[in-house]
Amino acid sequence: MSRFFASPVLVFSSAIALRVVLFFYGLWQDANSPVKYTDIDYFVFTDAARFTAHTQGSPYDRETYRYTPLLAWMLWPTTWSGTWFSFGKALFAVGDIIAGWLIVIVLQSSNHMSLERALKFASLWLLNPMVATISTRGSSEGLLGVMVIALLWAITQKRISLAGVLLGLGVHFKIYPFIYASSIIWWLDDERVPSHTTPSRAESSSIVSLAMKFCNSARIRLVVISLLTFTILNTVMYSMHNFSPYNTLLYLSSSGLGSLAMNLESLAFLPQLLLSAVILPLVLAKKDLPSTMLAQTFAFVAFNKVCTSQYFLWYMVFLPFYLPNSSLLANKFLGLSVAALWVATQGLWLHQGFQLEFLGKSTFVPGLWVAGILFFLTNAWILGIIVLDIGSSATKSVMKPKARLSKS
Amino acid sequence: MRQRITFLQKPEDSLDPRALKITTNAISTPALKAAREDRLTLGFDELPQELYRVLKATRELHIRWTSVDGYGSIPPFVSRLSPGLHVLYTPLKNSSNSLLCPTLKKVFGDLDCISPEQSFTNVSVEQLALPVTTEYHAPLSNLNDLVEYITHKLCKRKDEEECLSRVSNLQSASSLEIDFDTSSHDLTLTAFWPSRIWNLNLSKASPEQRLEVGILSVETPNEPEELSLGGFLTVIGEHTKPSPTLFSFPSRHHSTTQSFSSSFLQPTGLHPTLSLNISSSALPIEDRACSLHAHLTLPRAIFADKYQLSDPLFLNSKNLSALRYITSPVDLEAPAYAMSVWGSSLLLELSPPTQKSTSGIPWTAQIPLHLRYLLPNTNHSGLAALDVPYPVLFWACTADEGTKFSGNPFDRENLGYDGHFGKRTMFYHVAPSAGGTGNGGSLINTLDVPVLDLGKSSWVETGTAAAVLLGFLWVVWCLVKVLRTEGYGSRRGALVAEKKKL
Repeated sequence: MSRFFASPVLVFSSAIALRVVLFFYGLWQDANSPVKYTDIDYFVFTDAARFTAHTQGSPYDRETYRYTPLLAWMLWPTTWSGTWFSFGKALFAVGDIIAGWLIVIVLQSSNHMSLERALKFASLWLLNPMVATISTRGSSEGLLGVMVIALLWAITQKRISLAGVLLGLGVHFKIYPFIYASSIIWWLDDERVPSHTTPSRAESSSIVSLAMKFCNSARIRLVVISLLTFTILNTVMYSMHNFSPYNTLLYLSSSGLGSLAMNLESLAFLPQLLLSAVILPLVLAKKDLPSTMLAQTFAFVAFNKVCTSQYFLWYMVFLPFYLPNSSLLANKFLGLSVAALWVATQGLWLHQGFQLEFLGKSTFVPGLWVAGILFFLTNAWILGIIVLDIGSSATKSVMKPKARLSKS
Repeated sequence: MRQRITFLQKPEDSLDPRALKITTNAISTPALKAAREDRLTLGFDELPQELYRVLKATRELHIRWTSVDGYGSIPPFVSRLSPGLHVLYTPLKNSSNSLLCPTLKKVFGDLDCISPEQSFTNVSVEQLALPVTTEYHAPLSNLNDLVEYITHKLCKRKDEEECLSRVSNLQSASSLEIDFDTSSHDLTLTAFWPSRIWNLNLSKASPEQRLEVGILSVETPNEPEELSLGGFLTVIGEHTKPSPTLFSFPSRHHSTTQSFSSSFLQPTGLHPTLSLNISSSALPIEDRACSLHAHLTLPRAIFADKYQLSDPLFLNSKNLSALRYITSPVDLEAPAYAMSVWGSSLLLELSPPTQKSTSGIPWTAQIPLHLRYLLPNTNHSGLAALDVPYPVLFWACTADEGTKFSGNPFDRENLGYDGHFGKRTMFYHVAPSAGGTGNGGSLINTLDVPVLDLGKSSWVETGTAAAVLLGFLWVVWCLVKVLRTEGYGSRRGALVAEKKKL
């Protein structure tokens, strides 16, 4: 087993093989079964691509398409022929692999892991059957994974301009990566990117000079470039369609099960945004950026009013950075309880949902509601653990070398 | 005003013409067993002001009502529609008709109709020259409001007694049609009653009216496209005795011996499947290209997904062959209470088993549908009843080149589905039988839709808020703990701090 993870060739060829097998299995199932392997959204994307390519129309001529036109254009080859129809799935799967490769690089360079250990943890993403299934079914969530990991890679490599472009692109694609802006900006302090200006007058602590000190060149460059990328993409993509990029946000806000208290709904944004975009980055970003991004995403998804299993992909991509130093691995009992509770409460929700959706039982209250609340509380509990871990890993990783020294 | 009243008898019930008593302004006979069609044609000047105002902005208006109680049909009155009130409306180009919905409500009772723009759906595609035809449907169990309306607005004093008795008959009619076409400037009202015993006594109120009474029965036609009718025609005031007649004409609509029932597969869930149980898969006539179709009229709470119905493998597994028409657009996500359009209609081609040996055996086609969220209610069951009218089933067959159906005095067009076929299409109707479960003999399939029970959900808001707050505070508490022991600084910062302490 350890020899397997020692070889990048073995790990990556397994990851690729897993996706190739699923890809062809999907083609077979689609051709032979009335139940389709391909995700419904994939038909939405490819229809939208066809509208864009052939009829000079807008991708929004396809009902329920609410993604950037960029996605429809990326899938333009799917309109060429029957064989090319699956191009998008291959693209998403390649995105998965690249994301996995970048995870390995960041783990090695920033977390100072050995190649074998990095490959082991990257396999949480690369060899994860859920990840491979979602991308080969043609869901675009995996594409977000590669964008976000590329952003993390660029920022840890101090490629600020590239990071700005990726951040702007990510936000344009799916809004939610905007939460990473605050953690990255907070992280980019003078310790990470030593200032070129003479630090002689740095001792003064008036508000103006603190603000001047805060606005270092890396932070300004990141903000300007990401805003520019976002604005240019939005102008180019949406000007013809008069389509608000905030559609997703608005959709999210309107789609809670109707009638449930409108005034509460508007308040629900508050804890979500406060945690994921403000408090979590401020307290944790400087300690461990990748794990903070996990915590932010986890908070964003857990406190979100709409939650589907594809959103879990959003934070799963950060697990390889958090897990190595987490108490979930250190304390086996805690780890197993967390996993069991997460699966059990989700299972309860799915069970109640099945009763409603397929058996027509009115399980809205208390069944679905209680299950939803329990799943939420479980997520909140896990988020607390992640927060404490990031806080204490700061000291742990300082202590570790000492412990090793005394042994030797 | 012109009136044509036709009685259609089975050959064995045929009336002896000597039993008919005809005077200069009336016709009567006791115990006439027949189905009946009344057709009344009114000129613009005979209409109440409010109807005239609606029709002035109208290019075409076709109103079709069908009873929820199943009824036996008899040629030539064999075409069918889903139960309820159907409206096909074409405005004059560049005119919007704000009076249509209020008038429909006034005439037929409380309908969920705001305006043609908000409540109707487009049937035809927009063409440069022609205005778009729109469609509307509403459940309507009886014609009591219409009877009330006609009684007060149309029955004039001089013919009141005759008018009232004729109008009250409408309460037992199985179908009713109102047609207006701007080219004729006439409004036609047609009602149909299935076979029963009539105590016939008809008279006309004034000499300028025309009243024509026919008593006919079906004869064997020479051609498969044709219908042949024989019997007696009498124009009151012109004829003193019934004149015998026999005539044939190509007919658009035909009957079959086949029947179907529809029901929802249990459990229904949020994605109910409508199952059509069809008595036979045999073609209605030889030597013609025929295909079996189902036309569905779906209230807004339930809909079909055209994308789901586009995969041949999936369709085939349900014994369907293709989706020929669906209202466009159909919102795939909105809850029912956020919509104002009436609903949607779709035309599906079915795929009957093709082996000759099995053609007489009953078979099943399944139509996958989807429910929207309905408004929460307080009836403690957590369920809301949803009534879905029976679909219409028919074989569409191609008639011979040059066949003209317009010669048929009983021709029926603008039924909603006929517009999706060519002019030379014949419809062989499969009779609905109310065999489905729990619908008490009516042509309605009732569904239980899960909804939020408001009685149980009073604490959902506070409970949700409390849980979110609890989760939020727990995470914040963890963050405060980190902040107090480690600060917000970096790992390296901590290292530096430690070094300083040492």
